[in-house]
Amino acid sequence: MFLQTWLLPVALLVIATIVAFPLSRYLAWVMDGKYRQLPVLSWFERSLDSGPQNWKQYTGSLLIFNTALFVFGFLVLAVQPWMPLNPDAKGMLAPSTIFNSVVSFMTNTNLQHYAGDVHLSNFSQVFFCISNMFLSASVGFCSLVAIIRAFRGEASLGNFFVDMWRVVIYMFIPAALIFGIIFMSQGSPMTLNSSYQVSTLEPAAMGTTDKGEVKKQTIVVGPVAALESIKMLGTNGGGFFGMNSAHPFENPTGVSNFFNTLAMMIFPFALVFMYGRMLRRLRHSWIIFSVMLLLMAGTIVWSICFDTLRPNPGLTAHATAQTFQIPNAKAPGGKQDVTIPAVAGLPVDQHLGNLEGKELRFGTSAGATFAALTTDVTCGAVNAEMDSLNPLAALSPMVGMWLNCIFGGKGVGMINMLLYVIIGIFIAGQMVGRTPEYLGKKIGAREVKLAVLALLVHPMMILMPTGLFAALDWGLKAVSNPGAHGFSQMLYQFSSASANNGSAFDGLGVTFGFANNATPSPTAIPWDIATGLVIVFSRFLPIIAPIAMAAFLGAKTTSPAGLGTLHDDTPTFGILVLGTILIVGALLFLPVAVLGPIAEHFGPMPFGG
Amino acid sequence: MLRQISKSILLLLFSVVICCIAYPLVLWAIGQAAFPFQANGSLLQGPDGKDVGSKLIAQPFTKDEYFQPRPSSPSYDASASASSSLAPSNYALRDRVARTLGPIVTYRGGAKAGKQVAPDVEAWFQKDSFQGKPHIVAQWADQHNSLAQAWVNADPKNGAYVDEWTKIHQAIVAQWIKDNPATPKPKAADLAVVFFKDFSNTNPGRFPSSVTKTGPDGKPLTAIEPVKDGSDVQSIFFEMWREEHADADLQDVPGDLVTASASGLDPHISLQNAEFQLDRVAAKWAANLKRDPAAIRKEIEQIIQKNASAPWGGLIGEQFVNVLEINLELRKLYGAPS
Repeated sequence: MFLQTWLLPVALLVIATIVAFPLSRYLAWVMDGKYRQLPVLSWFERSLDSGPQNWKQYTGSLLIFNTALFVFGFLVLAVQPWMPLNPDAKGMLAPSTIFNSVVSFMTNTNLQHYAGDVHLSNFSQVFFCISNMFLSASVGFCSLVAIIRAFRGEASLGNFFVDMWRVVIYMFIPAALIFGIIFMSQGSPMTLNSSYQVSTLEPAAMGTTDKGEVKKQTIVVGPVAALESIKMLGTNGGGFFGMNSAHPFENPTGVSNFFNTLAMMIFPFALVFMYGRMLRRLRHSWIIFSVMLLLMAGTIVWSICFDTLRPNPGLTAHATAQTFQIPNAKAPGGKQDVTIPAVAGLPVDQHLGNLEGKELRFGTSAGATFAALTTDVTCGAVNAEMDSLNPLAALSPMVGMWLNCIFGGKGVGMINMLLYVIIGIFIAGQMVGRTPEYLGKKIGAREVKLAVLALLVHPMMILMPTGLFAALDWGLKAVSNPGAHGFSQMLYQFSSASANNGSAFDGLGVTFGFANNATPSPTAIPWDIATGLVIVFSRFLPIIAPIAMAAFLGAKTTSPAGLGTLHDDTPTFGILVLGTILIVGALLFLPVAVLGPIAEHFGPMPFGG
Repeated sequence: MLRQISKSILLLLFSVVICCIAYPLVLWAIGQAAFPFQANGSLLQGPDGKDVGSKLIAQPFTKDEYFQPRPSSPSYDASASASSSLAPSNYALRDRVARTLGPIVTYRGGAKAGKQVAPDVEAWFQKDSFQGKPHIVAQWADQHNSLAQAWVNADPKNGAYVDEWTKIHQAIVAQWIKDNPATPKPKAADLAVVFFKDFSNTNPGRFPSSVTKTGPDGKPLTAIEPVKDGSDVQSIFFEMWREEHADADLQDVPGDLVTASASGLDPHISLQNAEFQLDRVAAKWAANLKRDPAAIRKEIEQIIQKNASAPWGGLIGEQFVNVLEINLELRKLYGAPS
């Protein structure tokens, strides 16, 4: 049991590190333009090159390209009913859902207010999902590279379009082909058909129609493997099917689950080393990598301890009644006793932990491990139902989204980590009364302002809309679970949107469905629009502000390291960064954590109903 | 600006051609050539050679002759995968699990070891007293409003039964409207709680349940009637019975038998779950085929063991079996169940 629980997470962390280290060398090599272009591909690259760009031109190109991607995505989804590869005649999604989905996929978020198997044709899956998955991951990647070049003090940050081309062609396409073949060998379909009708082995087990005919089982298939591999490699996370990587076609076996999980880890891991290689400060990278790895191991251990090693508390006995005093102005003495009665246990063998919302084929701790990893690396795919995790275990994915720098998504996670680094150095500088420096360059007021601006967008975009929705019918009518867990559902949705993550507590009523749906979820439109706006702000501000910051910092003269210099390649520095992350993170999010998952853990169990 | 727009469009065009056309086509060609079975959905064929389903997708089995898959939130609809999304703290989860348990749980120790709990639940239900207060059904509806409402909405017949009751009990309805001025025209579900309270008073130890009888014309006729036993009583009221019998020594049921998977389409059950169902399956086939139960049990046991596998050969998880595959073997070995 010990081995069955811990082998998988340990194997994942070790193998991802082993793969990432040499991979980072390749990434740095490609991004520095040292590769020899193949004759055919060089024509493409030449025609994309618009010349060297400064930071304003680079971010300008980034924004213009994203605008083009938005228009393209909106068009593809809007014309779905009239496009080929749609034998089931799927209609058009509601406009607000199209807006939400387009924004969400364009920004690497992949929060899905629709279900792929129900609402999208194969045409949309390929031309909307797959295109955005390659391109949105590349955008984050390129912004990190731009920051690195700015730190190096280069006048030109390179060319955005050439960078995008390099990332897509020399990194994602080869990797996606390899993982796609692995997934197909395990059982992921790769066909242009969209569904099969089969007569089940026990006739009529699916029920009969009103006319007395035996119902068949409709099995949705499609080009799953192609989408699956880039979904994980690009830390996109938007599933082909509604239940994402928990669906047997997306993730057919324990082996495929290992590669599914590994795929979302290798690029975020490698980017940290790439950062050090391109700046010629590999030791500094190792320190940052260690901090991230420590935090990641912490979130995994936490979720396994509270989900795999504990039973589902809704089914177990709570043998003694508990009485609490709560304030009540009307009661004598101003206080009222509330008693939670004792609860008898149900006769269920739970030695494998909480099995509600878990699949058996992945392995004992696979669901809890995946839940922690998917938010650490900002992927957002799920292989278990997050809503059904044990209350404290669900804290682990939330912390991953709140800190948003435990490796993080393509590029942006490393950028967030740099913000914490800058602020940590700034705080340390204040403590010893010395001008703070990073990479030998003095950090001034303007840089700190930009870093704090980029950092504070995230908590504001989570806490303010969560508070608003919790106070209105928009939130209260959407939640599907009573009590503190309902609050967690709203909190999770906005955390996921703001962290550009995309996982969700699926019970939340956010699905409108097709535009002509007569009975949509009544709160779908406010959720579509609010999360869509949160996604946009939380994506682009934390990209643009750090690029500006890096450009300002990089333009300064480098001062030689002296006796008083804070060395950024020592364990002390690692502890400084770790402390900054934990203190800032706890200050921002502890109150909501107490209102949500922690209250659910201590509260009456079961509750309501 | 114009230059950047034109380059953006060019980049988008190149990417779409490569990522959305060339890349999927290459994978498709490799898949169809190297993995035709997997790439087309892992479809399995029945004894008549026709497709019966996918090896990777759970399908429902209701007959006792077959092993049954894990509970499924989308009712095994493989075109709309879904989980239950029930939080551990949600009473609906505990209720769903308890309803599955009621008809199958047995005693582990004591004088009744190995015997079913269900008859005791029925006997207790008929006494109609819970925690010292009369009328179990009334207390059930009072404590769990949403479950009472769910019963009304579960079947059109249930709703019609409450509508019939409403016509006769206008006074209760009027009182309810007085207490709930926001809802001047209550629907059947709104009145669920008062309906059950009244029902419990007039039918102590009974629950409205669907009963199928032979009608006057010889055809089967289904109607709602007050019943004192049967599957509804066993499943719905097992949880309350358990609260009053917390010390009863019951045999644990395998966890995956009562919990829904994330996709709702998990094709596997644990080996432990298969062993748990083995007695039922073997007994049913033995009765059908009029053969020695021990011999049949041994044959089926071998089928299960032969099909058992574990993730990474058992290094990271426990053994499980594919439900469709073992049921397909049963079907091929013993023919169609009667």
